[in-house]
Amino acid sequence: MQPATPLPGTQDLLFEAASRLRRCEATLCGRFEEKGYAEVIPPAIEAADVFGPEAFRALDRSGRLIALRADFTAQVARIAATRLAGISPLRLYYRGSIVRRVAPDSGPVHERLQAGCELVGAAGPEADAEILALAAASLHALGIRGRISLGSTGYFSALATAAGASERLAAALNDAVDRKDLPTLRTLCEREVAAGKARDAILLLAQPPRPQTEARELLARAETLAPSEDALRALRRVSAALAAARDLGAELEVDLGEVRGLGYYTGIVFNLYAAGSPRPVGGGGRYDTLLGRFGDPRPAVGFSLDLDALVPLAC
Amino acid sequence: MLTIALPKGRLQKPALERFARAGVVPDEEPGISRRLIIPAGSAARFVLLKDGDVPLYVERGAADLGVCGIDQVLESAADLLTPIDFGFGRCRLCLAAPGGKSVTAELGRSLRVATKYPRLSSQWFVRRGVPVDLVHLSGSVELAAVSGLTDAIVDLVESGRTLEENGLVVIDEILQVTARLVVNRASYRLKVEELLPLLEKLG
Repeated sequence: MQPATPLPGTQDLLFEAASRLRRCEATLCGRFEEKGYAEVIPPAIEAADVFGPEAFRALDRSGRLIALRADFTAQVARIAATRLAGISPLRLYYRGSIVRRVAPDSGPVHERLQAGCELVGAAGPEADAEILALAAASLHALGIRGRISLGSTGYFSALATAAGASERLAAALNDAVDRKDLPTLRTLCEREVAAGKARDAILLLAQPPRPQTEARELLARAETLAPSEDALRALRRVSAALAAARDLGAELEVDLGEVRGLGYYTGIVFNLYAAGSPRPVGGGGRYDTLLGRFGDPRPAVGFSLDLDALVPLAC
Repeated sequence: MLTIALPKGRLQKPALERFARAGVVPDEEPGISRRLIIPAGSAARFVLLKDGDVPLYVERGAADLGVCGIDQVLESAADLLTPIDFGFGRCRLCLAAPGGKSVTAELGRSLRVATKYPRLSSQWFVRRGVPVDLVHLSGSVELAAVSGLTDAIVDLVESGRTLEENGLVVIDEILQVTARLVVNRASYRLKVEELLPLLEKLG
C-alpha cells in the first residue's frame, strides 16, 4: 500500500507556508551573518554515536549503526573539533531539519525545522551573553516579542553531587524540578536527602521564576545556600552572564529550576518563549565537554530556534 | 485572560471549590446549560472536558492550566508543569485479580491484563520483568477479569467496594493518585503576572 499522506510528525509545506519559512530563514541568516557567523551544512546522516538515544537509527550495509540528523549542535561540534580544530573563536550557524524520536524509548519520530548558532572556543561570560543577545535579536528580527528563561544545569548537577544523590535520585529530582512539582520534590528531599544546605538549595529550585530586576536577590540568596565550590561557581556564572547581557531587547528572567536542555549542557541553559506558542520556541546553553568527545576539548555555547513554532508567529 | 480546563467527572466539584476560594467563580454553574466554555468574570474562563483530555488541552496550549488526576498526567505522558497537589480525588491505581487466582510466573505464559492505563501498566510490568498481554479497554475494566477475558486488571480503586462485589482482590499498588494542578509550560512563563497570584491562592 502506498501511503497517501506524510508520516505522522512530518509535513509538506506548500506555496505561502513554504515562502514564509524561506523568508524567516533569510531574515535569520542575515542577522547571523551580520554578527560574524558563517554557515555550515552538515550531512543528513551521521555515525549514530554522534547523537544521543533520541536519534532515529539504522544499520548500513556493513553493519555500522548510522542515524538521521537528530541534533545540529553535535554535528557542528564534530566539524569544529576535526576540520576546524584549534581555531578559536569560531562563529558558526546552520539551518535545516532534524529527525528525532518523540521519546527516547518509543517508536514515533518527528521532523523539526531549526536554525541556530554555535560560538566555539570562548569560555567567558561575554560569550554566554553574546549568544543570549543573538537569540533575543533573532526573535526581534522576526517581529516576535519573546521571553528568555535563564538557568544553569551546572548548578543543578553541583547540588545533586553535594547532596550525594545517586543517578536514580538525581534523575527523579531533576524531573520534579523540571515540572515545578514542589510536592514531589519535598517528598523526595525529606525521604532521601540529608538535611542541610544542599537540600535547602534543591527545594528552592521549584520556586517561580524571577524577572531580571529581582534576579540578583534570588541569586544572592542561592549563594548563601551554596553547598559547594562548584555550586557557587555555577551561580556566579549565571550572575556574570546576566551582568554582561544587559539591554537584550527581550525580557529575561532567571529560573534556577530551568534544568531542561540537551544532555551535554554543562553551564548556563536557557529556553525561549513567545506568545502564541504552547512550547518553547528555542533554547540553548553552554556545552564545554562535547567537543572533547571528538578529540578537541574546547568550550562552546550556542542556541537553536524551532522554526515550526516561530514561522507562524513571525510578521 | 486565563483558560482553565475543568474535568467533568468527580473532580469537578472539589476543583470548583478550590478555584472559588481563590476568587475564580464561573458565571454560571457548569452543567446547567450545554455551554462548554463558561466565563468566570473578565480574567478567566473554564472549558469543560473529560478528565483524560485535560493534559492534552493544556500541553497544546488550548488551556493555560487545568485540573486532573496524576494518573491522567502520567498516562498521557504530556509535557506539563504540575506545581500543586490538591489532595482531593484520592485513590490508588492497583493490580487486582479474582481472589485465589495465581498471577505469578507459575502461569507459564504472559499475564493477561485489562486496563484503561496501557502506558502506566506496561511501564510497571516492564520494570518488574513480568511479561504481559495488555488489553486496552475503555470502561467496566473489572468485568474483564471476572468474565475470563483476562487474568487481572489494572484500575483505579477508591473504596474497594466495586472490587469486593465482583470478587476481586488487590494484589499490588501501582500509583497513589490525587488531583493535580497542571500548567502549560509556555503559559507559566508568558502569563506569569496573572498566574503566580492564582497559584499562590490555590496552593
